[in-house]
Amino acid sequence: MTAGDAALEEAAPVRARRASPVVAAALAAAAIVLGGVFAGAVQSTLLMTLLTQAIITAILATGVGFLIRQNGVVSFGHAAFYGMACYTIALAMRHGVMPIEAAILLALVLPTALAFALGLVIVRIPGVAFSMLTLAVGQALYEFATKARHATGGDDGLTVNLPARVFGVSTSLFQDPHAMFVVSWAVLALVVLALAAVAASPFGRLTAAIRENEERARFIGYATVLPRVLVLTLSAFVVAIAGVLFTLYNAFVSPDVLHWSLSGSALIMAIIGGPRLIWGPAFGAIIFFFAKDMAGDVTEHWQAIIGVILIVVMLLLPVGLGGALARLWRRGAGHG
Amino acid sequence: MLVQVLNGLVYGGLLYIVSVGLVLIFGLRRIVNFAHGSLFMIGAYVGFSVAAMGGFWGAVLVAALVLALAGALLDVTVLRPLQREDPIVTVLVTFGLLLVLENFAQFVWGKDFLKMPVPAMLSGSVSIFGESFPAYRLLVIAVAAAVALGLSVWLRVSRIGLYVRASSADPLTTAMQGVNTDRVSVVVVALGAGLAGLSGTISAPLLALSPSMGSYILIESFIVVVVGGLGSFVGAFVAAMVIGQVHNFGLVYVPWAATMIPFLLMVAVLIWRPTGIAGSHV
Amino acid sequence: MADGFAIEGIDITRSFGGFFALKGISIAVPPGEIRGLIGPNGAGKSTLIDVLSGRADRWTGTVRMFGDDIGALPAHQRRRAGLARSFQRTNVFADLTVVDQLEIAARAAETPNVEEIMAELSLTALAGKRAADISYGDQRRLDLALALIGRPRILLLDEPAAGLSIGESLELAHNLKDLVARWKVTVLLVEHDMEVVFSICDRITVLHLGELLAEGTPDEIRGIPEVVTAYLGSSV
Ligand SMILES: Nc1ncnc2c1ncn2[C@@H]1O[C@H](COP(=O)(O)OP(=O)(O)O)[C@@H](O)[C@H]1O
Ligand SMILES: [Mg+2]
Repeated sequence: MTAGDAALEEAAPVRARRASPVVAAALAAAAIVLGGVFAGAVQSTLLMTLLTQAIITAILATGVGFLIRQNGVVSFGHAAFYGMACYTIALAMRHGVMPIEAAILLALVLPTALAFALGLVIVRIPGVAFSMLTLAVGQALYEFATKARHATGGDDGLTVNLPARVFGVSTSLFQDPHAMFVVSWAVLALVVLALAAVAASPFGRLTAAIRENEERARFIGYATVLPRVLVLTLSAFVVAIAGVLFTLYNAFVSPDVLHWSLSGSALIMAIIGGPRLIWGPAFGAIIFFFAKDMAGDVTEHWQAIIGVILIVVMLLLPVGLGGALARLWRRGAGHG
Repeated sequence: MLVQVLNGLVYGGLLYIVSVGLVLIFGLRRIVNFAHGSLFMIGAYVGFSVAAMGGFWGAVLVAALVLALAGALLDVTVLRPLQREDPIVTVLVTFGLLLVLENFAQFVWGKDFLKMPVPAMLSGSVSIFGESFPAYRLLVIAVAAAVALGLSVWLRVSRIGLYVRASSADPLTTAMQGVNTDRVSVVVVALGAGLAGLSGTISAPLLALSPSMGSYILIESFIVVVVGGLGSFVGAFVAAMVIGQVHNFGLVYVPWAATMIPFLLMVAVLIWRPTGIAGSHV
Repeated sequence: MADGFAIEGIDITRSFGGFFALKGISIAVPPGEIRGLIGPNGAGKSTLIDVLSGRADRWTGTVRMFGDDIGALPAHQRRRAGLARSFQRTNVFADLTVVDQLEIAARAAETPNVEEIMAELSLTALAGKRAADISYGDQRRLDLALALIGRPRILLLDEPAAGLSIGESLELAHNLKDLVARWKVTVLLVEHDMEVVFSICDRITVLHLGELLAEGTPDEIRGIPEVVTAYLGSSV
């Protein structure tokens, strides 16, 4: 046996862990079907309303978590991309300048383009300063939306005049919790799948390496700015998808969709769920919503509760609940 | 015109006092305290409550002391145990703290805006080159100037100050000098928090008090610190003064865009110099 | 190959604040040579490597690689042009496995020789381990392996044996000498261990306080009294 063969054998377990596309596609299909069956089985509109909100926010958290996972930086401003998608649709519909389908497309393109342009500037900023910047960027957009009353309706928000049909589907379907749950769930499954594929790709592994040691990545021959900008862009795109779903579902937007507390919540969900896993942030979002619902009559102190949870998770469980679950699972399955 | 410039100085001065606390802590520990704005906010409320009982000057003193104590506590219980972790951990933990403190203020003082009266002694106006200007605002400028001056003297002559300056310039080498970082850190964090409390109280008569005022000032002071160059005292001073002026002129001439201007300024500076005005290369 | 040198630094100056770490240093290494770069701590050896490899900012002078001025190229483009380096302080991807990081490095290179490099540097058995979990000596070799991926034309090595035992560093040195001879790599080697330097280098450049003190074959260097007093002491 040559040294090279030994290397391959030694490396085999590493490579085997990367799931094949077929398995992944089957998983996603199963998840989507399961979502449909689940929605069919659950009668309670209240529960489905809660879940639909949770799933849409889970997509937002997934975008925020992907940035942490691949770039190692924490954004406090992703509501900017989310809210921008919401307002793009709202304003396009208000002025009747384009069909809803084009507005949706634009709602995906604009935040993504903003993230790209902004990324070229802010991605070079190291760790903590990046967080400070994203907070400032997000808040600037929020302030703008509240101040530009004539355009955005300010704090009062805007009702979105959706046409009767979107992509040939009755709009009322998007506002029905059961149907929208199925749609959002499917989108979430596809997003998680796509991001997992990106993470396992050469690009994903390169960005993980850059996150690990940016300087060394340059000295093995890689430009390191553009890959990080692209990760930010991709994460903003995912967040914009969530914004589109939110707008279709609620048909109403207010500056809350741009506020830093939304960015902060998404971030907390990602951390609670465990951003090292692609699905961790979504898991965190669902926990977040159920915990909030259960908090019930103490919701007045919800903010403090979530603050304490964040602190506790950071100190005691840096891999997040999802990460802890995955570890238990692996241990249970006898893998390590 | 002169009044505008003075108003800009008031705002810039307040921003400087808040931001300098962030700079101090960053210089020493390379971390950013996301709860810093909440310390400002708590300072304003504490000042408000004490002023109602014991007068304005007592309020300033008590708020600064209470917050300094809180800062010392923060250092010992949060910052020190986390110093070996990634700075992001501290960011997230102090962010959690921000949420708790905001909720706490809401619980104690309520959600509604509170207004603290200007101390009677300073409620009048003074005339400067024929233009009248509120006396209280002049006091704020004076306090900011005193803090800036006092701090730069302290940084230059005291042992701790020297250490902080050395550490901001070169944390690795300084850490090897065998100084007791923990003791320095308690003092520095307490000072930073005390200044946040002080500025909270003296700005209380100028602003409406609400639990969310902390996150507002936090964001503004982040802009100051990033534009100035993380860890730079001079940079933060210059940035605070510029943003004070820009903010104020923006409010007067382009009110709808005023809040965007500091942000645009920040982006412009970062394109020009990614590490801020006084930032060194990393 | 206009002037026949693989790597050339001309009149390189770099200052930190008012302090000059390099004061107009010129160095030229012909293809295929192993050049030693020695000098006491703080002489400016790492700073010179930084300037040549594209890590330094705010320096003056000219850097040429096979005759081309590369002074304005960013580090990653110099690497892609065949100028690789290792680091004085171990600089690897701690959370990635050995094979993963070598594969990432290989993707940027024209000659993806991961298996070959792992075999040459005895990393094969460690392929699936995280870099953070392997021994310090293995990490040093991994650092070197990252530089050797793709068979670079020029290698700048900043104390590759730092922190290794005497036995380990001699082994590494001869491993290296053998490899670069086969691949015809030009090497600029910073090394504290004089035994290593004198046994594998063709020529030696001596820096002292940012200035060029001497340059010559190992025998010539041994014969210069200033070098012996400034640096070699009585040990050689
Ligand atoms: N980033 C830096 N800032 C300030 N001084 C530095 C820096 N890097 C190196 N120096 C100084 O430059 C001189 C040369 O350093 P270096 O090139 O690392 O020396 P060597 O590698 O020969 O030991 C030393 O005096 C060192 O203190
Ligand atoms: Mg060195």
